[in-house]
Amino acid sequence: MEKRTTRAYDAVVIGAGNGGLTAAIRILQGGFSCLVLEKHNLPGGFATSFRRGRFEFEASLHELNDFGSAQEPGEIRELFRSLGVEDKIEWLRIPEAYHLITTDKQYDCVMPFGVQAFIDRMEEYVPGSRKSMEAFFELCEEVRAAQAYSSSVNGETDAAYMKKNFPNFIRAGSYSVNEVLDSLKMPARARDILNAYWCYLGVDCDRLSFLHYGSMVIRYITRDAWMPKMRSHEISLALEERIRELGGEIWYHSPVSKIHADGPGAITAVELADGTQIPTRHVIANCSPHLVFGTMLDKGAVTEPMVRATNSRAFSGRGFSLFLGLNKSAQELGIKSHNYFIYDTADSADQYDRMRRVETNHVQATVCLNNAFPGCSPEGTCMMYFTTMFMSDDWGNVADTEYFKAKDRMADDMIRVFERETGCRIRDSIEEIAVASPTTYARYCGHPQGVIYGYEAAEWDSLMPRMMMIKEDAQLFPGLRFAGGWAMRSSGYSSSYVSGDLSGRQTVGDLKREVR
Amino acid sequence: MKFKRQIFGFQDMLRFKKLVPNRRAALAAGSDKPLPETYRVNQQAGRLHPGVMEVELTAVRPLAPGMKELTFRRLDAGAFPFFRAGQYVSLQGRVGESLVSRPYSIVSSPRQALENKLALGVADAGFFSGWLNREARPGDRFRMTEPSGEFHYETLRDGRQIVCIAGGAGITPFLSMARSMAEGDEPYQMLLFYGARTEAQLAFRAELDALAEKGLRVVYVLSDETKAGFEHGFVTAELLEKYVDIRTSSFFLCGPQAMYDFLDAQLAPYGLPRKAVHRDASCCPNLRLEAPRVFRLTVHVRDQIFSMEAAEHETLLTAMERAGVPAPNRCRAGGCGYCHSKWLSGEFRIAEGRDGRREADRKFGWIHPCVTYPMSDMELEVPAEK
Repeated sequence: MEKRTTRAYDAVVIGAGNGGLTAAIRILQGGFSCLVLEKHNLPGGFATSFRRGRFEFEASLHELNDFGSAQEPGEIRELFRSLGVEDKIEWLRIPEAYHLITTDKQYDCVMPFGVQAFIDRMEEYVPGSRKSMEAFFELCEEVRAAQAYSSSVNGETDAAYMKKNFPNFIRAGSYSVNEVLDSLKMPARARDILNAYWCYLGVDCDRLSFLHYGSMVIRYITRDAWMPKMRSHEISLALEERIRELGGEIWYHSPVSKIHADGPGAITAVELADGTQIPTRHVIANCSPHLVFGTMLDKGAVTEPMVRATNSRAFSGRGFSLFLGLNKSAQELGIKSHNYFIYDTADSADQYDRMRRVETNHVQATVCLNNAFPGCSPEGTCMMYFTTMFMSDDWGNVADTEYFKAKDRMADDMIRVFERETGCRIRDSIEEIAVASPTTYARYCGHPQGVIYGYEAAEWDSLMPRMMMIKEDAQLFPGLRFAGGWAMRSSGYSSSYVSGDLSGRQTVGDLKREVR
Repeated sequence: MKFKRQIFGFQDMLRFKKLVPNRRAALAAGSDKPLPETYRVNQQAGRLHPGVMEVELTAVRPLAPGMKELTFRRLDAGAFPFFRAGQYVSLQGRVGESLVSRPYSIVSSPRQALENKLALGVADAGFFSGWLNREARPGDRFRMTEPSGEFHYETLRDGRQIVCIAGGAGITPFLSMARSMAEGDEPYQMLLFYGARTEAQLAFRAELDALAEKGLRVVYVLSDETKAGFEHGFVTAELLEKYVDIRTSSFFLCGPQAMYDFLDAQLAPYGLPRKAVHRDASCCPNLRLEAPRVFRLTVHVRDQIFSMEAAEHETLLTAMERAGVPAPNRCRAGGCGYCHSKWLSGEFRIAEGRDGRREADRKFGWIHPCVTYPMSDMELEVPAEK
């Protein structure tokens, strides 16, 4: 095969997902040249949409966290503003926080945005919860303030300053969600209802860091949740366009097969599957360290600490989604909420355990997009998507000849549970249907085992120590940084944009030092 | 407030201080076993969705006047992927200077695919199909895209009773669907109406008669002949009523546009919901123009630039194929999105009813070249061939 060598780039980004696109813009804004290589034929990774008949389905975004209104922007809107894409996208506000249903304790709770409204509603559902809820939000505010300080000094925090200004943050910082709520003496029922968002982070509340959870909840409740009007594909194309405006390049259908290096810290080029060589010294990988260190990087440059560090980490949830285009309106079908969390049990640790096996997993985070944006599908129709995760590789036991049936069975179960728990009959109105399994996710983005949530952010590998070790982790292989769901900020849209921002800016720093 | 969990707040602080050393130790304590090169679910994804396959033609068999069955085996693996009966593949080859490709419905069953056998029914119509009918010989090699398409049964959407209506060469996907049913992989009961001009033009008679022994119900409908054992005329609502309850059936139609138009009119009085009627997509044709103009098309593929002529009545994809520029494509009907490309400049029009783009594609200037015709000089950026 002819090995063609292209021009050299200051940095190459592998993968045009949320993290990769953001990182590329940062590199270009820093005045350096950048090429983005994407294996698929469009940008976004999971942030995309697809057409079936008269419907355009959102592939993955349920709601964007920490976005806020134009007047009171959250960090993500501010990030989009600074990237130069905020105005390229039409935004809409999600009406309510969530609708929690659990089969075991029969919760059926609709929670609003706004701290006061949220606390008031909780008091209605759980009289006597007010004091602990106020304490929770006060603690969350301190978490947010501490994180803002940490960002402002690029993670190089002053211990004495932290102790003086954010003592509660530090004292609560090593505990799980449930340990902290327990100390706040929150009534069990209030805790159950408050913990509903846990599936967005994919770790049960016995193991999920309070800082991680609290910082997400406070952002949802105070900044609301937002969506782009044309599905997440609109964000991806806006970021893509921005890269072009800044003189960057994106090559599609261009999977990277190799990262060449003369040794640790000495990247020389990346190689495409067809042998094309692209000289560069800096790579930002919007994919998993398992792939980068396991298959891409020259074997001679892979060190024992890289292997040990990568092997030590646990894969998070493997995705499964069902998409339905229904030929009746949400109103006709009685679907009232935008965002349902339906659990077998309010006990998140027990629930997590049930999610290990396909047979026992009946959890769903379900969206009826029309209840946030009535015009998202034609008059008299509505669109729903149901998502769950498997917390093991049980899905890998499905034989090829059973594959389509296995998808149908899981989809059938999702519909059955939704109908049983909400009383809405949707089965007869299915006009379009699509199902994505871990196999689909593995095919689409190449992630090991169809994981959609990166590495599990639990216990020792939770968010706080990850953030405190950004510099140290990057020393594992200078010149190589990660962005997206597998990076330090863990998975999710907002987190991926943030990791792209961090890794992009830090790579600019590396490049500037080199120039000097 | 003052948060604390342990009796003394400093104990909580100490725990916090240990977060980093704990993580550092855990990372260093990971196994030193080499990282996996592949993963089980990804291997399955690779088997079910190989992308593009290298294939060899193993047999050519005449089916009916102007129609042949081509059977292939895979060279880059020992089996074709298991697929959903009703799906198509795109066959790609080189004819002279042109790179050409066409989607064809699979006639063999998903189980046969696992025996490294995949058959297509190809009618002698159009440039590539005509060439395949006349010139292709066993031993010839091609590229083939993985089975894809949404023209297949959906357990949770469709009724158990399916009514399939084939016009002429449109019989092909139904062979696969009937075989898959007979092999126990599909839960439906299938009633097939197969329309042709004369009995001699019916393809797959022996196969269909054999499948009739295994539960398939077939009704042959001849428009130009009257014969015992055959229905005469077209597939009308009245004819359908003789065999099935129209209102509780799910329809699958595959045939020429004229057949779709005719059946639409026949079924209109029943007010069937959209979900009850599925049509197989057809290739986007040339426009009929008196004196088509010729424009200059500039195409960027990665860091390479190609320049070529593009006729006003042909799609941008056809222009690229004529010039031998490899442009990704599958369905050639506007729907699959595989040819998704960045528009850079110039005016264009999209074939009526075939704009399968996403909303944001329109906003940010992306097109599907397989259904887009130039109306001025144009410049595009096209993904590389994988």
